[in-house]
Amino acid sequence: MTPLQFETLYEAEWAELETLLDRVLGRTRTQAGSGKDVSGARVAALYRRACEQLALARARSYPAYLVDRLERLTADGHQVVYQSHEFGVARVKQMLAVDFPCAVREQARYVATAALLFALPTILVALVVYRHPELILSVVSADTAASFEEMYSPAADSIGRVREATTDWIMFGFYIRHNVGVAFQCFAGGLFAGLGSLFFLAYNGAFSGAIAGYLTERGLAPTFYSFVATHSAFELTAIVLSGAAGLRIGHALLAPGRLTRRQALVQATQESAIILYGVTAMLIVAAGIEAFWSSARWLAPAIKYTVAAMCWIAVLAYFTLQGRRAA
Amino acid sequence: MVTAETPEGILLELRPAGLTVRFCAFALDGLIRLIIMYASAIAAALFGGLGVAFWFILLFALEWFYPVVFELTPSGATPGKRTFGLRVVMDNGLPVTAAASVTRNLLRAADFLPLGYGFAIVSMLMRRDCKRLGDIAAGTAVLYEPRAAARIALDTVAAVVPVTPLAPEDQAALIAFAARAPRLTGERLDELAAIAATVSGDAGRRGPEVTRRVLGVAQWALGRRS
Repeated sequence: MTPLQFETLYEAEWAELETLLDRVLGRTRTQAGSGKDVSGARVAALYRRACEQLALARARSYPAYLVDRLERLTADGHQVVYQSHEFGVARVKQMLAVDFPCAVREQARYVATAALLFALPTILVALVVYRHPELILSVVSADTAASFEEMYSPAADSIGRVREATTDWIMFGFYIRHNVGVAFQCFAGGLFAGLGSLFFLAYNGAFSGAIAGYLTERGLAPTFYSFVATHSAFELTAIVLSGAAGLRIGHALLAPGRLTRRQALVQATQESAIILYGVTAMLIVAAGIEAFWSSARWLAPAIKYTVAAMCWIAVLAYFTLQGRRAA
Repeated sequence: MVTAETPEGILLELRPAGLTVRFCAFALDGLIRLIIMYASAIAAALFGGLGVAFWFILLFALEWFYPVVFELTPSGATPGKRTFGLRVVMDNGLPVTAAASVTRNLLRAADFLPLGYGFAIVSMLMRRDCKRLGDIAAGTAVLYEPRAAARIALDTVAAVVPVTPLAPEDQAALIAFAARAPRLTGERLDELAAIAATVSGDAGRRGPEVTRRVLGVAQWALGRRS
């Protein structure tokens, strides 16, 4: 069969498939209607025939324009026929109710390691700085230390970072950006054989510890702890979880088991995605609490501590109990 | 050239985009983001405190989710990538999934190190498929959108029956030569046609007449009989 005969024989099929694919992929916005009313069975059937024809065309060394056209047809068809849909309200609900807490429980070893990596430096540095407050100067500059002290002094209007602009909303935006940055760093650091995650977890732990130790020594404990208690339930957990995901990636690279390193990495990353979704949601919640609740002066510390305890219990219960039956 | 196999056993040819074009696309996206940031900063200033808050949130969204949102549209590319004819797909040629898009973009934090996307550049230069670290981990690739090959315009040339039997690859070579004909100068065309002149029985000769006959054989190989 000559190329021209081949082309004439199948031209009608290809043209039909091209129009259908253009409509599904939204390339033509004509009165023909959207891609919704395209018959999936027809597209699949035409696509499979196009695959056979491409194989024939290649085997017979048909001219480039024919093979090219078939290649584009099959590539587009492949995208349409085999694409996966992972969105929708039901999917989000399933993710929050089952997938996220289950994924965290599955990675319990990494979560525990990450929690230790974060908590140990925090406690150690806090104790050391509490004993020797001058050491704070090796962590932050004198100006920064003074500004921290000012932020949490009982005289300030609102606790937390000094408010250059007045509204809580601004701080909400600021906190989201800052905290998400820290968390994503802890995750991405995993690509360097886990060392990055290790470093960022310990570094952020030590930094928080230094501030906590210093402020406690200066006698600002009541304002400081009533400020951090509530949102830390979400924020610290989220940072530990993203660090855990990073450690998991690092471990996959170091000890890929029966897979190649690359396969192990891709698999670990894909399984981490669900944790990253959850972490992002938690950080947004944390930023909201930090901006609107933690900084409010008019709330008695007792109320804040009660709510904080409830938040911590809720978060821990969510990760230990939620979704057990469904999984 | 990288290939991906479909369940039908067809190899899809994927053309990975190199460092230069990806840098251009990235720069254009950066410019777009900068413009959005400045425009929204001006708008935010009009709304006071709430505006500034909105601006911070927008900044956060632009920083981390600008590429994700655009990669999940049917075009599979940010405006910068689309301008340069690129798109992001999974390793198997399928549209990028939400999970893969999120991870490949969050891992920018690693690609960015030690400074100025250093690891990304090294990784892209060292790999045949030009992936940065985020692409490797998420199993995605940045490719050129396929473009249509030019059709063969030989309608004015009469078909010539070859004097020797032609193997399929010889026919393919002749047809490919004919497809390139419009883009070659007359002299170069004659020169190349002289190499293939045996097919039309003109071995050893060259000139426009020989070229016409060789292209005629290409017509015949395409299936035209006149």
